[in-house]
Amino acid sequence: MATLDNAIPQVSPARLGRGVLSDAPPAEAGADAGLVEAARAGDRAAFGRLYHRYAGVIHGLLLARVPRTEVDDLVQDVFLRAMGQLHTLRDAAFFPGWLCAIARNRANDFYRRRRPADELPEALPGKSTAEDAEARAALEAIRSLPEAYRETLILRLVEGLTGQEIAGRTGLTPGSVRVNLHRGMKLLREKLGRTES
Amino acid sequence: MKDENVKNHYLWDGSGEPDPETQRLEKLLGRYRHREGAEPDWSGVQPPLVAMPRLPRQSRGWRWLAAAAVLVALVGAGVWLTMRPEESWWQVVHVEGAPQMGDEAVDSTAALAPDQWLETDSNSRARLESLIGAVDIEPNTRLRLLRAGVTEHRLEMQRGTIHATIYAPARQFFVETPSATAVDLGCMYTLEVADSGAGRVEVTAGWVAFEMNGRESFIPAGAQCETRPEVGPGTPCFTDASENFKGALVRLDFEKLAPAERDGALKTILVEARPRDAFSLWHLLNRVDPVERPQVYDRLAQLAPPPDGVTRDAVLRGDRQALDLWWDALGHGDASWFRFWKRDLPQQTP
Repeated sequence: MATLDNAIPQVSPARLGRGVLSDAPPAEAGADAGLVEAARAGDRAAFGRLYHRYAGVIHGLLLARVPRTEVDDLVQDVFLRAMGQLHTLRDAAFFPGWLCAIARNRANDFYRRRRPADELPEALPGKSTAEDAEARAALEAIRSLPEAYRETLILRLVEGLTGQEIAGRTGLTPGSVRVNLHRGMKLLREKLGRTES
Repeated sequence: MKDENVKNHYLWDGSGEPDPETQRLEKLLGRYRHREGAEPDWSGVQPPLVAMPRLPRQSRGWRWLAAAAVLVALVGAGVWLTMRPEESWWQVVHVEGAPQMGDEAVDSTAALAPDQWLETDSNSRARLESLIGAVDIEPNTRLRLLRAGVTEHRLEMQRGTIHATIYAPARQFFVETPSATAVDLGCMYTLEVADSGAGRVEVTAGWVAFEMNGRESFIPAGAQCETRPEVGPGTPCFTDASENFKGALVRLDFEKLAPAERDGALKTILVEARPRDAFSLWHLLNRVDPVERPQVYDRLAQLAPPPDGVTRDAVLRGDRQALDLWWDALGHGDASWFRFWKRDLPQQTP
Protein backbone atom coordinates (compact mmCIF):
# COMPACT_ATOMS: atom_id res chain seq x y z
CA MET A 1 0.00 0.00 0.00
CA ALA A 2 1.38 3.38 -0.94
CA THR A 3 1.87 5.97 1.71
CA LEU A 4 2.39 9.68 1.49
CA ASP A 5 5.62 11.31 2.58
CA ASN A 6 3.79 13.92 4.58
CA ALA A 7 1.05 12.75 6.85
CA ILE A 8 -1.97 14.93 7.54
CA PRO A 9 -1.14 17.10 10.54
CA GLN A 10 -2.72 15.65 13.62
CA VAL A 11 -4.63 18.39 15.33
CA SER A 12 -5.22 18.38 19.02
CA PRO A 13 -8.71 16.99 19.46
CA ALA A 14 -9.71 19.24 22.32
CA ARG A 15 -12.75 21.11 21.12
CA LEU A 16 -13.21 24.75 21.67
CA GLY A 17 -16.24 26.89 22.02
CA ARG A 18 -14.88 29.41 19.56
CA GLY A 19 -13.59 27.39 16.74
CA VAL A 20 -9.90 27.17 17.59
CA LEU A 21 -7.86 24.31 18.91
CA SER A 22 -6.39 23.96 22.32
CA ASP A 23 -2.83 22.91 22.90
CA ALA A 24 -3.71 21.50 26.28
CA PRO A 25 -1.05 19.19 27.70
CA PRO A 26 -1.45 15.91 25.82
CA ALA A 27 -0.96 13.77 28.93
CA GLU A 28 -3.82 15.52 30.70
CA ALA A 29 -6.09 15.36 27.65
CA GLY A 30 -5.22 11.70 27.13
CA ALA A 31 -5.98 10.81 30.73
CA ASP A 32 -9.38 12.48 30.50
CA ALA A 33 -10.15 10.73 27.24
CA GLY A 34 -9.41 7.43 28.97
CA LEU A 35 -11.80 8.30 31.78
CA VAL A 36 -14.48 9.28 29.26
CA GLU A 37 -14.08 5.98 27.42
CA ALA A 38 -14.35 4.09 30.69
CA ALA A 39 -17.39 6.10 31.76
CA ARG A 40 -18.98 5.47 28.39
CA ALA A 41 -18.51 1.76 28.97
CA GLY A 42 -20.49 2.07 32.20
CA ASP A 43 -17.71 2.68 34.73
CA ARG A 44 -19.35 4.87 37.37
CA ALA A 45 -16.08 5.42 39.22
CA ALA A 46 -14.56 6.87 36.07
CA PHE A 47 -17.52 9.22 35.70
CA GLY A 48 -17.04 10.18 39.35
CA ARG A 49 -13.45 11.13 38.65
CA LEU A 50 -14.55 13.24 35.72
CA TYR A 51 -17.07 14.90 38.01
CA HIS A 52 -14.41 15.81 40.56
CA ARG A 53 -12.12 17.05 37.83
CA TYR A 54 -14.65 19.23 35.99
CA ALA A 55 -17.15 20.23 38.70
CA GLY A 56 -15.24 23.44 39.43
CA VAL A 57 -15.20 24.49 35.79
CA ILE A 58 -18.91 23.80 35.36
CA HIS A 59 -19.62 25.62 38.62
CA GLY A 60 -17.70 28.62 37.30
CA LEU A 61 -19.43 28.65 33.91
CA LEU A 62 -22.82 28.52 35.62
CA LEU A 63 -21.89 31.14 38.19
CA ALA A 64 -21.09 33.43 35.27
CA ARG A 65 -24.67 33.10 34.07
CA VAL A 66 -27.22 32.18 36.73
CA PRO A 67 -28.01 33.28 40.31
CA ARG A 68 -25.65 31.87 42.92
CA THR A 69 -28.44 30.12 44.76
CA GLU A 70 -29.15 27.99 41.71
CA VAL A 71 -25.62 27.03 40.75
CA ASP A 72 -25.06 23.92 42.88
CA ASP A 73 -28.25 22.24 41.71
CA LEU A 74 -27.48 23.08 38.11
CA VAL A 75 -23.96 21.66 38.39
CA GLN A 76 -25.45 18.30 39.34
CA ASP A 77 -28.02 18.63 36.61
CA VAL A 78 -25.32 19.23 34.01
CA PHE A 79 -23.46 16.09 35.05
CA LEU A 80 -26.65 14.05 35.08
CA ARG A 81 -27.39 15.22 31.55
CA ALA A 82 -23.84 14.50 30.51
CA MET A 83 -24.04 11.00 31.93
CA GLY A 84 -27.25 10.32 30.08
CA GLN A 85 -25.85 11.61 26.80
CA LEU A 86 -22.29 10.41 27.00
CA HIS A 87 -22.99 7.78 24.37
CA THR A 88 -23.69 10.56 21.84
CA LEU A 89 -20.23 12.08 22.25
CA ARG A 90 -18.41 10.97 19.15
CA ASP A 91 -14.84 11.46 20.29
CA ALA A 92 -13.84 11.17 23.93
CA ALA A 93 -11.19 13.83 23.46
CA PHE A 94 -13.93 16.40 22.79
CA PHE A 95 -15.33 15.94 26.29
CA PRO A 96 -14.24 19.31 27.78
CA GLY A 97 -15.90 21.45 25.11
CA TRP A 98 -18.92 19.17 24.99
CA LEU A 99 -19.46 19.36 28.74
CA CYS A 100 -19.08 23.16 28.71
CA ALA A 101 -21.66 23.34 25.91
CA ILE A 102 -24.10 21.36 28.06
CA ALA A 103 -23.50 23.77 30.95
CA ARG A 104 -24.10 26.85 28.78
CA ASN A 105 -27.23 25.30 27.35
CA ARG A 106 -28.48 24.41 30.79
CA ALA A 107 -27.98 28.00 31.91
CA ASN A 108 -29.92 29.22 28.88
CA ASP A 109 -32.70 26.73 29.61
CA PHE A 110 -32.82 28.01 33.16
CA TYR A 111 -33.78 31.49 31.96
CA ARG A 112 -36.10 30.20 29.28
CA ARG A 113 -38.08 28.10 31.75
CA ARG A 114 -38.10 30.57 34.62
CA ARG A 115 -41.38 32.29 35.22
CA PRO A 116 -41.06 36.08 35.01
CA ALA A 117 -42.53 36.44 38.50
CA ASP A 118 -39.90 34.19 40.10
CA GLU A 119 -37.72 36.09 42.47
CA LEU A 120 -34.11 35.04 42.55
CA PRO A 121 -32.42 36.45 45.63
CA GLU A 122 -28.70 36.90 45.12
CA ALA A 123 -27.92 37.65 48.74
CA LEU A 124 -28.15 34.67 51.04
CA PRO A 125 -30.02 35.26 54.29
CA GLY A 126 -27.89 35.87 57.35
CA LYS A 127 -25.43 38.36 58.66
CA SER A 128 -23.79 40.35 55.89
CA THR A 129 -20.50 42.15 56.30
CA ALA A 130 -18.96 44.95 54.30
CA GLU A 131 -16.65 42.39 52.76
CA ASP A 132 -19.65 40.29 51.68
CA ALA A 133 -21.10 43.34 50.00
CA GLU A 134 -17.81 44.03 48.26
CA ALA A 135 -17.60 40.42 47.09
CA ARG A 136 -21.13 40.61 45.69
CA ALA A 137 -20.29 43.85 43.91
CA ALA A 138 -17.14 42.31 42.41
CA LEU A 139 -19.06 39.25 41.23
CA GLU A 140 -21.77 41.42 39.69
CA ALA A 141 -19.13 43.53 37.97
CA ILE A 142 -17.62 40.39 36.42
CA ARG A 143 -21.04 39.15 35.36
CA SER A 144 -21.68 42.39 33.52
CA LEU A 145 -18.64 41.85 31.30
CA PRO A 146 -18.83 40.24 27.84
CA GLU A 147 -19.29 36.49 28.10
CA ALA A 148 -15.78 35.39 27.13
CA TYR A 149 -14.16 37.63 29.76
CA ARG A 150 -16.80 36.77 32.33
CA GLU A 151 -16.25 33.02 32.15
CA THR A 152 -12.47 33.20 32.11
CA LEU A 153 -12.24 35.65 35.01
CA ILE A 154 -14.59 33.61 37.17
CA LEU A 155 -12.61 30.44 36.50
CA ARG A 156 -9.41 32.25 37.47
CA LEU A 157 -10.54 34.44 40.38
CA VAL A 158 -13.35 32.35 41.85
CA GLU A 159 -12.46 28.77 41.01
CA GLY A 160 -8.72 29.38 41.35
CA LEU A 161 -7.69 27.66 38.10
CA THR A 162 -4.52 28.69 36.29
CA GLY A 163 -4.67 29.91 32.70
CA GLN A 164 -3.36 26.57 31.46
CA GLU A 165 -5.98 24.66 33.46
CA ILE A 166 -8.76 26.88 32.11
CA ALA A 167 -7.59 26.14 28.58
CA GLY A 168 -7.38 22.39 29.13
CA ARG A 169 -10.79 22.10 30.77
CA THR A 170 -12.83 24.38 28.55
CA GLY A 171 -11.24 23.69 25.20
CA LEU A 172 -10.04 27.30 24.71
CA THR A 173 -6.49 27.89 23.51
CA PRO A 174 -4.03 29.18 26.09
CA GLY A 175 -3.65 32.24 23.86
CA SER A 176 -7.36 33.01 24.00
CA VAL A 177 -7.43 32.48 27.75
CA ARG A 178 -4.49 34.85 28.20
CA VAL A 179 -6.18 37.54 26.09
CA ASN A 180 -9.50 37.08 27.89
CA LEU A 181 -7.83 37.32 31.28
CA HIS A 182 -5.95 40.50 30.52
CA ARG A 183 -8.71 42.30 28.65
CA GLY A 184 -11.28 41.13 31.18
CA MET A 185 -9.17 42.30 34.09
CA LYS A 186 -8.74 45.70 32.48
CA LEU A 187 -12.51 46.05 32.03
CA LEU A 188 -13.12 44.80 35.55
CA ARG A 189 -10.81 47.43 37.00
CA GLU A 190 -12.73 50.08 35.08
CA LYS A 191 -16.05 48.72 36.34
CA LEU A 192 -14.82 48.71 39.90
CA GLY A 193 -13.62 52.28 39.47
CA ARG A 194 -9.98 51.41 39.89
CA THR A 195 -7.20 52.58 37.67
CA GLU A 196 -4.20 50.58 36.52
CA SER A 197 -1.47 51.11 39.03
CA MET B 1 6.56 47.47 31.62
CA LYS B 2 8.21 45.31 34.24
CA ASP B 3 5.27 45.94 36.53
CA GLU B 4 2.84 44.84 33.79
CA ASN B 5 4.76 41.60 33.22
CA VAL B 6 4.71 40.84 36.93
CA LYS B 7 0.93 41.31 36.95
CA ASN B 8 0.54 39.17 33.83
CA HIS B 9 2.48 36.27 35.33
CA TYR B 10 0.47 36.37 38.49
CA LEU B 11 -2.83 36.66 36.67
CA TRP B 12 -1.90 33.73 34.42
CA ASP B 13 -0.92 31.14 36.98
CA GLY B 14 -0.26 32.78 40.33
CA SER B 15 3.48 32.65 39.77
CA GLY B 16 5.91 35.50 40.28
CA GLU B 17 5.40 38.48 42.46
CA PRO B 18 1.76 38.69 43.56
CA ASP B 19 -0.34 41.50 42.14
CA PRO B 20 -2.14 43.00 45.16
CA GLU B 21 -5.37 43.73 43.31
CA THR B 22 -5.66 40.27 41.80
CA GLN B 23 -4.89 38.80 45.20
CA ARG B 24 -7.60 40.86 46.83
CA LEU B 25 -10.16 39.79 44.25
CA GLU B 26 -9.14 36.15 44.70
CA LYS B 27 -9.64 36.45 48.44
CA LEU B 28 -12.99 38.22 48.06
CA LEU B 29 -14.38 35.93 45.39
CA GLY B 30 -12.96 32.66 46.72
CA ARG B 31 -16.00 32.40 48.96
CA TYR B 32 -18.09 31.54 45.88
CA ARG B 33 -15.79 28.70 44.80
CA HIS B 34 -17.18 25.23 44.17
CA ARG B 35 -16.97 23.25 47.40
CA GLU B 36 -15.50 19.81 47.00
CA GLY B 37 -18.10 17.60 48.56
CA ALA B 38 -19.34 14.11 48.30
CA GLU B 39 -19.87 12.90 44.78
CA PRO B 40 -23.55 12.94 43.80
CA ASP B 41 -25.32 9.63 43.96
CA TRP B 42 -25.37 8.39 40.39
CA SER B 43 -26.95 5.09 41.33
CA GLY B 44 -30.46 6.34 40.64
CA VAL B 45 -29.52 7.29 37.10
CA GLN B 46 -29.91 4.79 34.33
CA PRO B 47 -27.94 6.18 31.43
CA PRO B 48 -28.33 4.41 28.12
CA LEU B 49 -24.64 3.55 28.21
CA VAL B 50 -25.18 0.98 30.95
CA ALA B 51 -26.78 -2.36 30.24
CA MET B 52 -30.10 -2.69 32.04
CA PRO B 53 -30.00 -5.21 34.87
CA ARG B 54 -31.81 -8.46 34.31
CA LEU B 55 -35.12 -8.68 36.03
CA PRO B 56 -35.22 -11.26 38.80
CA ARG B 57 -37.39 -14.28 38.20
CA GLN B 58 -40.90 -13.27 39.04
CA SER B 59 -44.39 -14.37 38.45
CA ARG B 60 -45.85 -14.04 34.96
CA GLY B 61 -48.09 -11.14 36.12
CA TRP B 62 -45.10 -9.08 37.18
CA ARG B 63 -43.40 -9.71 33.89
CA TRP B 64 -46.41 -8.40 32.00
CA LEU B 65 -46.51 -5.38 34.25
CA ALA B 66 -42.79 -4.70 33.63
CA ALA B 67 -43.26 -5.12 29.88
CA ALA B 68 -46.20 -2.71 29.93
CA ALA B 69 -44.13 -0.16 31.87
CA VAL B 70 -41.32 -0.42 29.34
CA LEU B 71 -43.81 0.01 26.50
CA VAL B 72 -45.33 3.09 28.12
CA ALA B 73 -41.84 4.53 28.65
CA LEU B 74 -40.88 3.91 25.02
CA VAL B 75 -44.10 5.45 23.71
CA GLY B 76 -43.62 8.40 26.06
CA ALA B 77 -40.06 8.90 24.87
CA GLY B 78 -41.21 8.73 21.25
CA VAL B 79 -43.95 11.27 21.83
CA TRP B 80 -41.53 13.53 23.65
CA LEU B 81 -38.98 13.31 20.86
CA THR B 82 -41.52 14.20 18.20
CA MET B 83 -43.52 16.79 20.15
CA ARG B 84 -40.84 18.74 21.98
CA PRO B 85 -40.48 22.30 20.73
CA GLU B 86 -37.86 22.63 18.03
CA GLU B 87 -37.00 26.08 19.34
CA SER B 88 -35.25 24.46 22.26
CA TRP B 89 -32.53 23.09 20.01
CA TRP B 90 -30.58 26.25 19.22
CA GLN B 91 -30.07 29.22 21.50
CA VAL B 92 -28.66 32.52 20.31
CA VAL B 93 -26.15 33.97 22.73
CA HIS B 94 -25.12 37.58 22.51
CA VAL B 95 -21.34 37.93 22.35
CA GLU B 96 -20.68 41.47 21.17
CA GLY B 97 -22.48 44.47 19.65
CA ALA B 98 -26.12 44.22 18.62
CA PRO B 99 -26.97 41.01 16.76
CA GLN B 100 -30.50 41.09 15.33
CA MET B 101 -32.97 38.23 15.34
CA GLY B 102 -35.74 39.26 13.02
CA ASP B 103 -36.55 42.83 14.11
CA GLU B 104 -35.31 42.38 17.64
CA ALA B 105 -31.87 42.89 19.11
CA VAL B 106 -30.43 39.95 21.02
CA ASP B 107 -29.07 41.33 24.26
CA SER B 108 -28.54 38.12 26.23
CA THR B 109 -29.95 34.83 25.01
CA ALA B 110 -32.92 33.85 22.89
CA ALA B 111 -34.24 30.79 21.10
CA LEU B 112 -33.82 30.77 17.33
CA ALA B 113 -37.01 29.59 15.71
CA PRO B 114 -37.10 27.88 12.32
CA ASP B 115 -37.18 30.39 9.45
CA GLN B 116 -36.04 33.21 11.70
CA TRP B 117 -33.06 35.19 10.40
CA LEU B 118 -30.11 36.05 12.60
CA GLU B 119 -27.91 38.90 11.45
CA THR B 120 -24.77 40.55 12.76
CA ASP B 121 -23.50 43.94 11.63
CA SER B 122 -19.87 44.99 11.40
CA ASN B 123 -19.61 45.35 15.20
CA SER B 124 -21.62 42.33 16.31
CA ARG B 125 -20.93 38.73 17.16
CA ALA B 126 -23.20 35.99 18.40
CA ARG B 127 -23.09 32.30 19.11
CA LEU B 128 -25.58 29.56 18.42
CA GLU B 129 -25.53 26.77 20.96
CA SER B 130 -27.16 23.39 21.05
CA LEU B 131 -26.42 20.00 22.49
CA ILE B 132 -24.96 18.94 19.15
CA GLY B 133 -22.42 21.76 19.14
CA ALA B 134 -21.89 25.48 18.77
CA VAL B 135 -21.63 27.95 15.90
CA ASP B 136 -19.75 31.20 16.42
CA ILE B 137 -21.06 33.94 14.17
CA GLU B 138 -18.67 36.63 13.04
CA PRO B 139 -19.63 40.22 12.05
CA ASN B 140 -21.58 40.87 8.82
CA THR B 141 -23.20 37.45 8.79
CA ARG B 142 -26.78 36.59 7.90
CA LEU B 143 -28.23 33.13 8.44
CA ARG B 144 -31.37 31.36 9.47
CA LEU B 145 -32.39 28.05 10.97
CA LEU B 146 -34.15 25.85 8.46
CA ARG B 147 -34.58 22.75 10.55
CA ALA B 148 -33.70 21.51 14.02
CA GLY B 149 -34.87 17.96 14.35
CA VAL B 150 -33.78 14.86 16.15
CA THR B 151 -31.61 13.65 13.27
CA GLU B 152 -30.99 16.79 11.24
CA HIS B 153 -29.99 20.37 11.94
CA ARG B 154 -29.89 22.67 8.92
CA LEU B 155 -28.89 26.32 8.59
CA GLU B 156 -29.04 28.57 5.56
CA MET B 157 -26.21 31.07 5.38
CA GLN B 158 -26.56 33.98 3.02
CA ARG B 159 -23.28 35.74 3.77
CA GLY B 160 -20.58 36.14 6.39
CA THR B 161 -18.36 33.86 8.44
CA ILE B 162 -19.11 31.14 10.95
CA HIS B 163 -16.99 28.75 12.99
CA ALA B 164 -18.80 25.47 13.63
CA THR B 165 -17.89 22.99 16.35
CA ILE B 166 -20.12 19.96 16.07
CA TYR B 167 -20.25 16.96 18.39
CA ALA B 168 -23.11 15.08 16.77
CA PRO B 169 -22.62 11.99 14.64
CA ALA B 170 -21.66 12.66 11.04
CA ARG B 171 -24.22 13.99 8.60
CA GLN B 172 -26.54 15.59 11.11
CA PHE B 173 -25.48 19.22 10.71
CA PHE B 174 -25.79 21.01 7.35
CA VAL B 175 -25.16 24.58 6.28
CA GLU B 176 -26.68 25.58 2.96
CA THR B 177 -24.94 28.42 1.11
CA PRO B 178 -25.77 29.90 -2.32
CA SER B 179 -23.12 27.73 -3.96
CA ALA B 180 -22.81 24.54 -1.89
CA THR B 181 -24.01 22.71 1.17
CA ALA B 182 -21.46 22.02 3.89
CA VAL B 183 -22.11 18.62 5.46
CA ASP B 184 -20.54 17.96 8.84
CA LEU B 185 -18.75 14.65 8.94
CA GLY B 186 -17.56 15.07 12.49
CA CYS B 187 -15.65 18.23 12.68
CA MET B 188 -14.77 21.78 13.40
CA TYR B 189 -14.60 24.22 10.52
CA THR B 190 -14.82 27.81 9.34
CA LEU B 191 -17.19 28.69 6.53
CA GLU B 192 -17.14 32.01 4.67
CA VAL B 193 -19.73 33.21 2.17
CA ALA B 194 -19.25 36.37 0.10
CA ASP B 195 -22.09 38.60 -1.10
CA SER B 196 -21.62 37.08 -4.55
CA GLY B 197 -22.50 33.66 -3.13
CA ALA B 198 -18.97 32.34 -3.51
CA GLY B 199 -17.81 30.38 -0.49
CA ARG B 200 -14.82 28.80 1.18
CA VAL B 201 -14.56 26.21 3.89
CA GLU B 202 -11.46 25.53 5.96
CA VAL B 203 -11.47 22.47 8.20
CA THR B 204 -9.71 22.46 11.56
CA ALA B 205 -10.63 19.00 12.80
CA GLY B 206 -12.47 16.03 11.30
CA TRP B 207 -14.01 16.22 7.82
CA VAL B 208 -16.50 18.30 5.86
CA ALA B 209 -18.21 17.36 2.63
CA PHE B 210 -19.02 20.26 0.33
CA GLU B 211 -21.66 19.33 -2.22
CA MET B 212 -23.97 20.77 -4.83
CA ASN B 213 -25.92 19.15 -7.63
CA GLY B 214 -24.00 15.91 -7.39
CA ARG B 215 -20.59 17.58 -7.39
CA GLU B 216 -18.81 17.12 -4.11
CA SER B 217 -15.51 17.43 -2.32
CA PHE B 218 -14.26 15.80 0.87
CA ILE B 219 -12.17 18.12 2.96
CA PRO B 220 -10.04 16.84 5.84
CA ALA B 221 -8.46 18.77 8.70
CA GLY B 222 -5.85 21.19 7.45
CA ALA B 223 -7.50 21.55 4.06
CA GLN B 224 -9.76 24.08 2.36
CA CYS B 225 -12.17 24.18 -0.54
CA GLU B 226 -13.68 27.01 -2.57
CA THR B 227 -17.13 27.00 -4.12
CA ARG B 228 -18.90 29.19 -6.69
CA PRO B 229 -22.54 29.71 -7.62
CA GLU B 230 -23.70 27.59 -10.54
CA VAL B 231 -20.50 25.54 -10.43
CA GLY B 232 -20.39 24.10 -6.94
CA PRO B 233 -17.40 23.01 -4.91
CA GLY B 234 -13.96 23.09 -6.46
CA THR B 235 -11.02 20.80 -5.83
CA PRO B 236 -9.99 20.71 -2.16
CA CYS B 237 -6.38 21.31 -1.20
CA PHE B 238 -4.27 21.62 1.90
CA THR B 239 -3.97 25.18 3.14
CA ASP B 240 -0.18 24.90 3.22
CA ALA B 241 0.03 24.07 -0.50
CA SER B 242 1.88 26.63 -2.60
CA GLU B 243 0.02 29.74 -3.68
CA ASN B 244 0.68 28.80 -7.31
CA PHE B 245 -0.91 25.41 -6.75
CA LYS B 246 -3.98 26.85 -5.03
CA GLY B 247 -4.36 29.65 -7.60
CA ALA B 248 -4.13 27.24 -10.51
CA LEU B 249 -6.77 24.99 -8.96
CA VAL B 250 -9.16 27.94 -8.65
CA ARG B 251 -8.55 28.92 -12.28
CA LEU B 252 -9.08 25.39 -13.51
CA ASP B 253 -12.17 24.85 -11.38
CA PHE B 254 -14.01 28.12 -11.93
CA GLU B 255 -12.66 30.22 -14.78
CA LYS B 256 -13.46 29.99 -18.45
CA LEU B 257 -9.96 29.49 -19.85
CA ALA B 258 -8.66 29.32 -23.38
CA PRO B 259 -7.13 25.88 -24.14
CA ALA B 260 -3.58 27.17 -23.71
CA GLU B 261 -4.43 28.85 -20.40
CA ARG B 262 -6.13 25.72 -19.18
CA ASP B 263 -3.15 23.64 -20.14
CA GLY B 264 -0.89 26.08 -18.29
CA ALA B 265 -3.00 25.91 -15.13
CA LEU B 266 -3.00 22.12 -15.18
CA LYS B 267 0.76 22.01 -15.67
CA THR B 268 1.27 24.36 -12.72
CA ILE B 269 -0.85 22.09 -10.54
CA LEU B 270 1.04 18.98 -11.56
CA VAL B 271 4.47 20.57 -11.17
CA GLU B 272 3.73 22.22 -7.82
CA ALA B 273 2.02 19.19 -6.29
CA ARG B 274 3.81 17.66 -3.29
CA PRO B 275 3.25 14.09 -2.14
CA ARG B 276 0.79 15.48 0.39
CA ASP B 277 -1.19 17.06 -2.48
CA ALA B 278 -1.97 13.64 -3.95
CA PHE B 279 -5.28 14.05 -2.19
CA SER B 280 -6.09 17.04 -4.43
CA LEU B 281 -5.00 15.20 -7.57
CA TRP B 282 -7.25 12.27 -6.64
CA HIS B 283 -10.21 14.70 -6.60
CA LEU B 284 -8.96 16.25 -9.83
CA LEU B 285 -9.25 12.93 -11.67
CA ASN B 286 -13.00 13.46 -11.59
CA ARG B 287 -12.86 17.12 -12.57
CA VAL B 288 -10.62 17.33 -15.63
CA ASP B 289 -11.55 16.55 -19.22
CA PRO B 290 -10.97 12.94 -20.34
CA VAL B 291 -8.05 14.06 -22.50
CA GLU B 292 -6.37 15.67 -19.49
CA ARG B 293 -6.92 12.72 -17.18
CA PRO B 294 -3.82 10.71 -18.19
CA GLN B 295 -1.54 13.61 -17.14
CA VAL B 296 -3.21 13.74 -13.72
CA TYR B 297 -2.98 9.95 -13.40
CA ASP B 298 0.74 9.94 -14.18
CA ARG B 299 1.61 12.64 -11.66
CA LEU B 300 -0.60 11.09 -8.98
CA ALA B 301 1.04 7.71 -9.60
CA GLN B 302 4.42 9.37 -9.16
CA LEU B 303 3.50 10.97 -5.86
CA ALA B 304 1.49 8.07 -4.45
CA PRO B 305 1.90 4.89 -6.50
CA PRO B 306 -1.37 3.02 -7.01
CA PRO B 307 -1.76 -0.08 -4.86
CA ASP B 308 -2.00 -3.61 -6.23
CA GLY B 309 -5.14 -4.15 -8.22
CA VAL B 310 -5.41 -0.56 -9.44
CA THR B 311 -4.59 -0.24 -13.11
CA ARG B 312 -4.18 2.83 -15.26
CA ASP B 313 -7.01 1.71 -17.55
CA ALA B 314 -9.40 1.22 -14.66
CA VAL B 315 -8.68 4.67 -13.24
CA LEU B 316 -8.95 6.41 -16.61
CA ARG B 317 -12.34 4.88 -17.27
CA GLY B 318 -13.49 5.95 -13.79
CA ASP B 319 -13.78 2.52 -12.22
CA ARG B 320 -15.13 3.17 -8.75
CA GLN B 321 -13.47 0.21 -7.09
CA ALA B 322 -10.07 1.22 -8.44
CA LEU B 323 -10.55 4.82 -7.31
CA ASP B 324 -11.63 3.66 -3.86
CA LEU B 325 -8.61 1.40 -3.49
CA TRP B 326 -6.32 4.22 -4.47
CA TRP B 327 -8.03 6.56 -2.03
CA ASP B 328 -7.52 4.02 0.75
CA ALA B 329 -3.82 3.95 -0.08
CA LEU B 330 -3.54 7.72 0.28
CA GLY B 331 -3.80 7.36 4.03
CA HIS B 332 -6.88 9.50 4.62
CA GLY B 333 -9.07 6.72 5.90
CA ASP B 334 -11.05 4.00 4.26
CA ALA B 335 -13.24 5.04 1.30
CA SER B 336 -15.99 2.83 2.67
CA TRP B 337 -16.30 5.38 5.43
CA PHE B 338 -17.66 8.11 3.21
CA ARG B 339 -19.38 5.61 0.97
CA PHE B 340 -21.28 4.61 4.08
CA TRP B 341 -22.64 8.04 4.71
CA LYS B 342 -23.10 8.99 1.11
CA ARG B 343 -23.70 5.50 -0.28
CA ASP B 344 -23.41 6.77 -3.80
CA LEU B 345 -20.45 8.85 -4.88
CA PRO B 346 -21.06 10.28 -8.34
CA GLN B 347 -19.28 8.51 -11.15
CA GLN B 348 -16.93 10.60 -13.20
CA THR B 349 -18.11 11.85 -16.52
CA PRO B 350 -16.99 9.56 -19.33
